[in-house]
Amino acid sequence: MIERASEKMAQEEGTDTLMVEARGVEKEYAAGGVRVHALRGVDLSISRGEMVAVMGPSGCGKTTLLNCLSGLDEFDGGEVLVGGESISRMSDRRRTRFRARKMGFIFQTYNLIPVLSAVENVELPLLVAGVKPKEARRRATAALETVGVPEQASKRPNEMSGGQQQRVTVARSLVNDPAIVWADEPTGALDSETSAGIMDLLVRLNREQGQTFVLVTHDVSVARRAHRLVRMRDGRVEGDEPNGERGQDG
Amino acid sequence: MDELFGIPAQQLTRVLLGVFAAGALILAALAARDRTSFRMAVRNIPRRRAQSVLIVVGLMLATALFSAAFTTGDTLTNSLRTQALENIGRVDVVVIAEQPGSAQPSAAAAFGAGGPAAPEARERYFDGDLVGKIRERLSDAASVAPLARETVPVTSPGTDLSEPRVDVLGMDADSMQDFDRLESASGETLAPGDLGEDEIYLSTKTAEELGVGVGDEVEAALFRPTTEAEGEMPSERGNRQRPAMPQGPPTGFEDGARPPGSTGEARAARPAGQERPPRFEVAGVYESGANPGSDTSMVMPLGNLQRLVGEDGRVNEVLITHGGPAVEGGKHTASTVDALRPLLADNGLEADPIKKDALEGADQMGEVFSTLFVLFGQFSVAAGMLLIFLIFVMLAAERKRELGIARAVGMQRSHLIRAFVFEGALYALAASTVGSIAGVGIGWVMVRLIGGGIAGEDFRISFSTSPRNVILAFCMGMVLTFVVVLISSWRVSRLNVVRAIRDIPEPDRRGRTVWGVIVAVLVPLAGAVAFWQGLATDMTAFYLGGLSLVLIGAALLARVLGVPDRVAFPASGLILLALWLTPASITTPAGMARGPEMFFVSGISIVAAGVWLVIFNADALLWLVVKVFGQVRGLPPVLKTAVKYPTESLFRTGMTLAMFMLVVFTLTAMNFIQAAMGAAFGNAQRLSGGFEIRADAGYAAPIPDMEVALDDAEGVQEGDVRAVGEVTNLPLEIRQKGTNRDLQSLYVQGVDGGYTGNVGYGFETTTEEFGSAREVWRALQTRKDTVVISSDLAPSRNSSGFADTEPPVKLTGFYAEDAYLPDDLYLRVKDPDSGKTRDLRVIGVLGSSAYFAGDVVTSRDTLDALAGRPLPPQTYYVDLGNGVDAAAMATTLEREFARSGLQTEVTAQTIRDNDATRRIVFVLLRGFMSLGLVVGICALGVIAARSVVERRQQIGMMRALGFQGGQVRLVFLIESSFIALLGIGVGVALALGFSGTLIENIREGIPGMEYRVPWSALVLVVVVGYAASLLTTYLPARQASKVYPAEALRYE
Repeated sequence: MIERASEKMAQEEGTDTLMVEARGVEKEYAAGGVRVHALRGVDLSISRGEMVAVMGPSGCGKTTLLNCLSGLDEFDGGEVLVGGESISRMSDRRRTRFRARKMGFIFQTYNLIPVLSAVENVELPLLVAGVKPKEARRRATAALETVGVPEQASKRPNEMSGGQQQRVTVARSLVNDPAIVWADEPTGALDSETSAGIMDLLVRLNREQGQTFVLVTHDVSVARRAHRLVRMRDGRVEGDEPNGERGQDG
Repeated sequence: MDELFGIPAQQLTRVLLGVFAAGALILAALAARDRTSFRMAVRNIPRRRAQSVLIVVGLMLATALFSAAFTTGDTLTNSLRTQALENIGRVDVVVIAEQPGSAQPSAAAAFGAGGPAAPEARERYFDGDLVGKIRERLSDAASVAPLARETVPVTSPGTDLSEPRVDVLGMDADSMQDFDRLESASGETLAPGDLGEDEIYLSTKTAEELGVGVGDEVEAALFRPTTEAEGEMPSERGNRQRPAMPQGPPTGFEDGARPPGSTGEARAARPAGQERPPRFEVAGVYESGANPGSDTSMVMPLGNLQRLVGEDGRVNEVLITHGGPAVEGGKHTASTVDALRPLLADNGLEADPIKKDALEGADQMGEVFSTLFVLFGQFSVAAGMLLIFLIFVMLAAERKRELGIARAVGMQRSHLIRAFVFEGALYALAASTVGSIAGVGIGWVMVRLIGGGIAGEDFRISFSTSPRNVILAFCMGMVLTFVVVLISSWRVSRLNVVRAIRDIPEPDRRGRTVWGVIVAVLVPLAGAVAFWQGLATDMTAFYLGGLSLVLIGAALLARVLGVPDRVAFPASGLILLALWLTPASITTPAGMARGPEMFFVSGISIVAAGVWLVIFNADALLWLVVKVFGQVRGLPPVLKTAVKYPTESLFRTGMTLAMFMLVVFTLTAMNFIQAAMGAAFGNAQRLSGGFEIRADAGYAAPIPDMEVALDDAEGVQEGDVRAVGEVTNLPLEIRQKGTNRDLQSLYVQGVDGGYTGNVGYGFETTTEEFGSAREVWRALQTRKDTVVISSDLAPSRNSSGFADTEPPVKLTGFYAEDAYLPDDLYLRVKDPDSGKTRDLRVIGVLGSSAYFAGDVVTSRDTLDALAGRPLPPQTYYVDLGNGVDAAAMATTLEREFARSGLQTEVTAQTIRDNDATRRIVFVLLRGFMSLGLVVGICALGVIAARSVVERRQQIGMMRALGFQGGQVRLVFLIESSFIALLGIGVGVALALGFSGTLIENIREGIPGMEYRVPWSALVLVVVVGYAASLLTTYLPARQASKVYPAEALRYE
């Protein structure tokens, strides 16, 4: 059932190349002296340009899965291929470089660097990737325009609202034109109106720029905006199906 | 240590212990009532063990510094006591003929300043019957023994070696029972009573120097006169017959008078017609027990010595011991001296409490060092206080969210204060305990270094520390730390609940809070009061310190009134810098006193100004850094992030910068002073007055005319010696004419034409009639009743102040810095022996570089006229011809005049030796100051460790964005480097500017000081300071680079 949904999505999106392929991913960690089996053999495939929402109750392993798939965390078993490359076989140094070039991140708490202005935060991934400072600034400014907050460029995070901060985070995640954007509760800290605005933005960017999005969320209204909905429970993928609203996009 | 800054140490300890106990009781009571706050405090400590350890280390530094300073003082005191007692043994009091006053130990002595002491005098003999009377007066309280002592040259005919100064002690075996026994190296007791007429015992050192052993023979220059002197002693001291010299005594001994300080009595002078001194057989060699004698001593029966020097039935010392342990014996000294005073005064004698004086001198020296180190360590203490404050501010920042939650659920501000105070008190307790004990170790290391520097290999370190001093250091550290903890806890409690929970920074209210306004008004007011006080009391520290406070307050007021920080603070900082970097002669009214406290006041002011200038322009500086290094591959993202954090936390950055700057500034300034003084003391030609050799003939055999004697000396070739200056010494009673002060005893030097015609010493000031130093020296020689005085006797506007002991005579009515001396400045001098009184006109104040000159210098004619007889010279200054090796010539002179006991010193070497002591003391002072550098380095470590915790999520995000582990590490290292390098660089730069002014000010008192950049010391400060700060930051930075992104992003 899961494989079928995935293949269908890939065909509908007009691409048969898998962006992410996870096979039997296992993850355990210790919490307060107790071993927690966070992922129990997760298999998942995500196609290029696809927007996938991962839902599930608290503690089901959504964020852990996102961290393992994006290379932010290591896993104990299985394999993850991103763009055809196995991240589990990469050294930390290579994986970091891979993240810098191919991935963007959006978090619930924005995680902007508080001492940097909006434009400086956005240009940071470019500078890390070795883009010249002038070019980085130009592209960062353009990214802020794209997400609709050019006037916030010189402001520090604590001078902006939550929605503005999240837009800056989105700009930062997209500025280096990543193949895939990982979003962990992107609207978790926002009110419903701002939340809708952010999702409109993500969907627009997904459509216009063709980037792959993986969203971890509790919010059904957010999940509804994705092509696919992956449901998790107790460290396993419980369901993987096209989404009602965008599942038929084509 | 008995006193600290003039406060009795015991009293200080009691007060501080009381404060500590009261504080502890109050805290215990509060903890019992408010268990929640106490539990929060206790459980917070082990949360981050490494950080807790770092905090304790940071907090303990001030305490360790106090403890180290006290231990240094204690150990020095103990070592000096032990050393003093070694040469005194069980002797508590010595009755001798009245002596001129002796100087107290002073900081000047500690720095090795000042030239050699006046040459020793032979002690006058008195009737041996007095011994019985003394014994009667003291009854059973003490044991009394007569002693005859002569200091003469001793030679060994067998080895042809000589020892110029040997204390020959004539002991009465029966009376010496309660005193120290002469003991050989094997422990055998040697009894003076066992000696035959031609037998003596020698000390181990004398035997070694002479190359003799038991059974060998030695000759001692002891002579018995063959005819009796005519007339009586001219003074009230000696109503007795005087023996005369066999064939006419040498110059100066004709009347048998005592010319103390330069000559011995006539009987001891070597008679011209007697060819060989008496010969003795060495009957034994003793290791110890010949007290009070020097290491080179010789013992014979009292009667033998009396007979040899023609003093049958007479003695020149009476030894008194109270028995008991060596130190305890000194306790009864006061009652003994009181009991003997009437008897001794009637006979022109005095009781010299040698043990008590030695112990007190040792104690005083120890106190001088303790005070000196605490005084100069105050910069480090100030830095330590800043660190304590910073640590608690950062602890509060770390727990901001939980503190906000605690307030939200109902905890009052007072609860938060209590929780922090409990925690701070526990840290302070641990830190003060560890610090007070660690300080003992630091002090031990310090004193090991001092020992070698002060007295060379002869000085043995006897480590000592007292529980009281450890307790005092503990209490001082505890109380200081606790006060800072209280202030920071109060600051911590003033948080906004919502902002704390959401971790939003507090808004900048620009000082417009009640406290902000109060401070902004009070600071300039306090400055104005201090300024006025400075004007009223002529104290530069108050005057300039007050002005500085006004400037600081003006910036605070301007801020409240809305002037941008970037304008108000740097403007104030610039004016402050201009104020302190301009020589004090321009910025202060004439006549204002400047003491060592100026160093501290100026240091704090300059550093405050420097911090403001840097902090409020940090963004510009960082922009420059990014511009310069931003092109390096891989650096832009690292630099971008690294440079932002310091400018974001201006308070934190400013505090750390202040610590670094303060310590580096003082260390650098100290290095400059050291280099400048090195230049001053390195100029041996100037300090020696142009004489390469100083020579002292023993009083037993003076050389009446050195020039003639040199002509006859085989080892001295024509042209070897260019000139010889001869100096006589006479103790006179002196006071400034026109004053009602008591007469004070002081040695006066009489110099001949050979001296005044060749000496190169200059003058700080002279009377108006003279245009050059040469004219003054010529006038001294040609005009009767004129004197020049040392700068010590002249009042100065630039008194160094601390630990200086006033000389017995201090003149008034002028300053050494004045252009001219008043024409009516006279000294009234009286020779107690001749009874003559004269008024001597002061025509010049010698420069402080007159290293070998006495306190009062006049011509030999003037001195002879006062004494009523020609005085023989005892000290000789030799100006050598070009290319003559001073050391070789000094040896030659000693060999040529061995029979006269001539002792020589190469003046340049003496200056170097004394300078070595001063250098060591400077090294130690810098060592104490360097502890402050440890404080700054610790601060960086604390900040870095704290930053890793604080920015964990940000680090995770950076890693997620593609920062490599090494880049994260680099962010932290660059951030620390920015603060460390800026602190070190600006500290050095400020010191470079300030040292010029400082040296300019000091140069007025110490001519010859030069502004020299001590490059090697500067490089050491910069490299060690920076390397240590990098090392401290490296561990937290490494920890940051290991942060796993997913973990960090999850972290709350």
